[in-house]
Amino acid sequence: MKNIFFTTCFLLLCLSGCDSFTEVELPNSQLTSNAVFEDQATADAVMADIYTKIRDNGLLTGNSWGISNQLGLYGDELDFYGNPLDGSLAFYNNALLASSTEVADMWNNSYNQVYAANAVIEGVAKSASLAQADKDRLTGEALFVRALVHFYLLQCFGDVPYVTTTDYNVNRSVSRQPESIVYGLLMADLEGAVSLLPEAYTGANRARPNKWAATALLSRVYLYEGLWAEASNAASAVLNQTGLYGVETDLDRTFVISSKSTLWQLMANSAGGNTYEAQTFIFFSGPPTVSALSPSLMAAFEQGDQRKAHWTKEITGDNGETWYHAYKYKENSSTGSSKEYSIVLRIGELYLIRAEARAEQGELIGAKEDLDIIRSAAGLAPTTAVTQTDILNAVLAERRVELFTEYGHRFFDLKRADKLDAVLPVTKPGWDSSDRLFPIPATEIMRNRNLAPQNAGY
Amino acid sequence: MKTISFISGRRHVSYLFLLVFYISTTNALAHTNIVPLSATEQQQQTVTGTVTYNNMPMTGVTITVKGKNTTAISGEDGKFSISANGTDTLIFEYLGFKTQSIALNNRTILNIQLEEDVNDLKEVIINAGYYSVKDSERTGSISKITAKDFEKQPVTNVLAAMQGRMAGVNITQNTGIAGGGFDIEIRGQNSLRSGGNNPLYVIDGVPYASDLIGARVTSPEMPMPTSPLNSLNPGDIESIEVLRDADATAIYGSRGANGVVLVTTKKGKAGKTKFIANVSSGFGRVTRFRKLMNTQQYLQMRKEAFTNENITEYPSWATDINGEWPQDRDTDWQETLAGGNAGFTTVQGSVSGGSENTQFLVSGNYSRETTVFPGDFRYTKANVLSTINHKSENKKFTLGFTAGYTARDNKQPSIDFMQEAIALAPNAPALYDDAGNLNWQNNTFNNPLRYLQTEAGAKTYDLLANAQLGYSILENLQLRSSFGFTDLRHKETSALPSTMFAPSTGRTPSSSSLFATTANRQSWIIEPQLDYKISIGKAKLQALAGATFQQQDASQMTQQFYGFASNALLYNPGSASRITTLSSGESVYKYQAFFGRVNFNFAQKYIINLTGRRDGSSRFGPGNRFANFGAVGAAWIFSNEKLISEKLPFLSMGKLRASYGTSGNDQIGDYQYLDTYSTSGYSYGVSGLQPTRLFNPDFAWESNKKLEAALETGFLNDRISTTVAWYRNRSSNQLVGIPLPGTTGFSELQANLDAEVENSGWEVTLRTVNVKTENFSWITSINYTIAKNKLLSFPGLESSSYANQLVIGQPLNIVKSYHYTGLDPQTGLYTFEDANGDGRISEPEDKTAIKNLNPQYFGGVQNQLRYGNLQLDFLFQFVKQLNYNQYYGTAAPGNMMNQPAAVVSHWQQPGDTGPYQIYATDLNDAAITANSQFGSSDAAISDGSYIRLKNISLSYDLPLKWTRGIGCRLSVQGQNMLTVTSFKGADPEFKSPGYLPPLKTITTSLQLTF
Repeated sequence: MKNIFFTTCFLLLCLSGCDSFTEVELPNSQLTSNAVFEDQATADAVMADIYTKIRDNGLLTGNSWGISNQLGLYGDELDFYGNPLDGSLAFYNNALLASSTEVADMWNNSYNQVYAANAVIEGVAKSASLAQADKDRLTGEALFVRALVHFYLLQCFGDVPYVTTTDYNVNRSVSRQPESIVYGLLMADLEGAVSLLPEAYTGANRARPNKWAATALLSRVYLYEGLWAEASNAASAVLNQTGLYGVETDLDRTFVISSKSTLWQLMANSAGGNTYEAQTFIFFSGPPTVSALSPSLMAAFEQGDQRKAHWTKEITGDNGETWYHAYKYKENSSTGSSKEYSIVLRIGELYLIRAEARAEQGELIGAKEDLDIIRSAAGLAPTTAVTQTDILNAVLAERRVELFTEYGHRFFDLKRADKLDAVLPVTKPGWDSSDRLFPIPATEIMRNRNLAPQNAGY
Repeated sequence: MKTISFISGRRHVSYLFLLVFYISTTNALAHTNIVPLSATEQQQQTVTGTVTYNNMPMTGVTITVKGKNTTAISGEDGKFSISANGTDTLIFEYLGFKTQSIALNNRTILNIQLEEDVNDLKEVIINAGYYSVKDSERTGSISKITAKDFEKQPVTNVLAAMQGRMAGVNITQNTGIAGGGFDIEIRGQNSLRSGGNNPLYVIDGVPYASDLIGARVTSPEMPMPTSPLNSLNPGDIESIEVLRDADATAIYGSRGANGVVLVTTKKGKAGKTKFIANVSSGFGRVTRFRKLMNTQQYLQMRKEAFTNENITEYPSWATDINGEWPQDRDTDWQETLAGGNAGFTTVQGSVSGGSENTQFLVSGNYSRETTVFPGDFRYTKANVLSTINHKSENKKFTLGFTAGYTARDNKQPSIDFMQEAIALAPNAPALYDDAGNLNWQNNTFNNPLRYLQTEAGAKTYDLLANAQLGYSILENLQLRSSFGFTDLRHKETSALPSTMFAPSTGRTPSSSSLFATTANRQSWIIEPQLDYKISIGKAKLQALAGATFQQQDASQMTQQFYGFASNALLYNPGSASRITTLSSGESVYKYQAFFGRVNFNFAQKYIINLTGRRDGSSRFGPGNRFANFGAVGAAWIFSNEKLISEKLPFLSMGKLRASYGTSGNDQIGDYQYLDTYSTSGYSYGVSGLQPTRLFNPDFAWESNKKLEAALETGFLNDRISTTVAWYRNRSSNQLVGIPLPGTTGFSELQANLDAEVENSGWEVTLRTVNVKTENFSWITSINYTIAKNKLLSFPGLESSSYANQLVIGQPLNIVKSYHYTGLDPQTGLYTFEDANGDGRISEPEDKTAIKNLNPQYFGGVQNQLRYGNLQLDFLFQFVKQLNYNQYYGTAAPGNMMNQPAAVVSHWQQPGDTGPYQIYATDLNDAAITANSQFGSSDAAISDGSYIRLKNISLSYDLPLKWTRGIGCRLSVQGQNMLTVTSFKGADPEFKSPGYLPPLKTITTSLQLTF
């Protein structure tokens, strides 16, 4: 009897394990993709995460591995003082290799941001329960982000694939697209964003882009493409929003969280946190720890330029040597509540865009007016430039001292003005003209042959 | 006199212990020693005596009266007592010793000396997991090593103990840092997935997840995070079996593709209660450093580099030559930063014993290891193991219970100092200033000892318990079930205080960080089994059926605590001003299987073994969860054929065996088939949600077909025994994280590739008993493996992301490199073959030189010599392979980083042949590029073959006369003592250039047994 009992128990135990044993529930740290876009709060959390990625990694981060620092070193804004083992030295010496992990990170993080933006566009389109206004806003933001990231990829790497889907079967074998095609796609995305985004900001502190932020970026894209009238009109559309925006006359207020010259800024990583830019650029004693403003940049400030006094700071070493660091952002550690966010788009640039676009179209008076608005805010007298060429040069010079250490403006300006080879060799012995583009990361070409050929010089 | 009284004092204590155990184990012990007499027996008398081995008393020897049911077990000091007729014959048996039959001839006192059975391997019982077989009747490929083989090695990781001792098992150490891990490959790389080649570890019947724990950001061991296998104490292990072919592994189904490692812990033996205490201590040093430039050579290089670029005013960051740093200091930073002595101390004790029905063992172990780095870092480990085995009086019911608990505490610097040690300029300033503070040399010196401010600490608590219950329903039908439970708790922290930065950075504790990871892993398993045996005439049939239910719950969370009021509060997370959860996750893994085995043995000549398993795993999407695996194995023991045993009497063993079957692989992580969003841990007002992965709902099992044939022979009564095995494993439906280009947004996708990988090879083992006399014995064991790995097919390889990594017909582990064509005597630059002739060197087109990094062959030669009480064991390990040399990843000569000393022979003017290129700074693009290509050319991969005296140990047992019966063994052991190699670099065994290589270790130990 006992034996039969045991055997029966055994058999029952074995058979009771039907296939359902291997069913597992969804882990509680994850949500299915479909569910995420059925709820406004979680859909917004997905969009918010893209901004954290832009803030923390990739091309636009204020950390030392973002372009504000790396292109500052690569061009003529910053001198390198860090650890020679630091990857930034190769940027400073214009000695990038196709195997550079820093460059690969820029590339991969950027396309990861693009993927996330495309996932929002696709997820929102499929959503059954999101309100139309939320759908438009989220799609507009995602289009804006997609354009923003591709814009910087294009500037750094030249011809790049413009990725508009999450389908890996497509994206794994994309080819590099000619610059003109990419510009066309950029404009189409930004025009879409402008039409979908609301005029009012979502949430506090202008941390989510609105219609005018998208318009501002579109204006810059037109300018880079030489569409002067369109650039000028788009800039005007933003500058006319005087209720929302204006130039801060107190230079110490330009980069604070509540600045009215801000179009879009990236929220700090915590309540009370401030910017990575401040942590990267500020040092307290010499020699500097990462980088310092280059003597040529410091010499570019005209006598009496208040930006030199307010946006840079002099540090004196033990032996009387002096260095300068960027001091646009002043808080390099946490404060009770956040005082500064990383400003990506601001009004100052738009006046300079319109000045340039107007000058190119021969509207010299309007161009001078715009230029002088920026100069007067810096405590400078109106420009003395008269001819079209002089005014264009004056705008370029003004951009250098207005936009220094902000997202590679200086380097891109020299590049589109075709002045890299004329200007950089003076202070950069490692410069040669093939350095105008970064190398496509070697592993990327290895994994997708359609990305070949490598940029010249690598 | 004093010694003796000490010893006798100790003996009193031990008697006390014995007494306690005698009471607790009931009077069963008494029963075994005095067997009741049967009334029908005539002329019964009590025979007493002592069983010894090598003058040591032997406990637990089974004594039987031939042809009768009477048994006894030797107890106290090897003494036994048994009732027998004066005409009876007594049989003395003990595993691993020669069985002796002694006719009593009316003697009542018998003193027997047992001889170690170095020859008779046939009777060795091999654990095959769900069943065990006699070695001679085994149809599968299983190798076994026992404590005797590895107990003399001063190692703390079980894989270190296995290194070099088994054919087909390739083990390499991946860091010299205490608590680091090992890489193991059994019969080569089957999976394209780098993480998919681990064997299944089963400890006392419980599968043990070997997946790495912890996170890179909080982990001290640089190349790899912590391996949970460190929890196993080699001193607690009785034997290790490695299952390789289909016949042996198919019963492990989906988890057997890469082989199975079965670990059996020590168990108590019936007989006298035995105390063993072992203390050992010693030290370790790095085996080999690189030969680097000295200051004079280095500064000469730097100055020449600047001269070559016509720079006379050295830039601000060239602090080594611009006057900031002294020119006369000359430090070998490898010696300074990693040249210390690591101390080793181990204390181990155990108590074991029991009656015929119940045996126990309790052991404890404590070990402590310091580092070769400066600073106060250490790794300590303590563990307890206890086992009980019980058999009911009627022998129908059996119970086995084992529980082991390990606590590990590891404190290491958060980085491996080797990285900086090989790069730092030899004239870099002193580490400390005159006041004894860290020297930042006016903010120009990134002092490597800043990392002494950091600390990576890991605490791991690991519980492993299992119970095996068995009940014989009928004489030939047994029901049994095993129950297992594991509980791993791991916590690691990495502290990065503001003081690790130069004062000029103005860092305050408000920028200090603490990274912390907690990881937990619990699993349970139940495996009910039914076992049936029947013999009909010469035929023997065994059948086994069983099921597995297993679940593993794991969770892991990594957080950053940032911004403190003071660095003293760093370990108090509550005082951080910002807490970010970098990652957190939970996972459940469920696994279910049914398995069976049928073994048919005819006349001990013809054996067929069928095994199979149906597996289900939650790691696959619905519809792909279940799969079947099976194998057939057969053996022909031709030495048992009458014809052969008569004609070839010198052939003591001859067996041909073959097997074919399938097994699988599910090492892919959990939930990979789901399309989800998960918390990113980063805040933008709200906490962000990010796409977890590129998802693919359709991936399924990877399958591995294994074929093997082997010939096992023994000659001259097995004094010479050999095995020659040939195997061929083919792995298809490769389940991989297919590397994707960054434009997809991710770096990989989980999917099945229609690629097939073949591993084939020959494994040869030879064991000879060279000398065997009463006082002197010498045994040599040799293992030798030639392994080949080949990608058989890969449809669409050309258009896949593997196009530039893999080649059909070549091993998986190849590197495509530039082909170095020598130094250009005109420019002084390295040149390479322009394979596509487009006038420039670029990847991937010009990376056409294929280098195979798999070992070509490897093996070990183990010798065991015994002369009286003196024993010498040594193991040579040899590997024929290529390895990355010191030019891999080294900066261009002329940069502000030190160089191999050989680089002194460099190009200076047109016509020079180098062999090393022109000294150049970062400003010489051509030189930088050429050097970077040199580092990824075939010149950076060179012969890394070596012969290494992996282990040597000399031990001496003090004669028992001197110690009054207390076994006392003194020994000296060495690990990695001697290396013969022509490798250009540090340690040839080591595959992670720039990290701390394995250490050379010498320890002495004392072991007491009583």
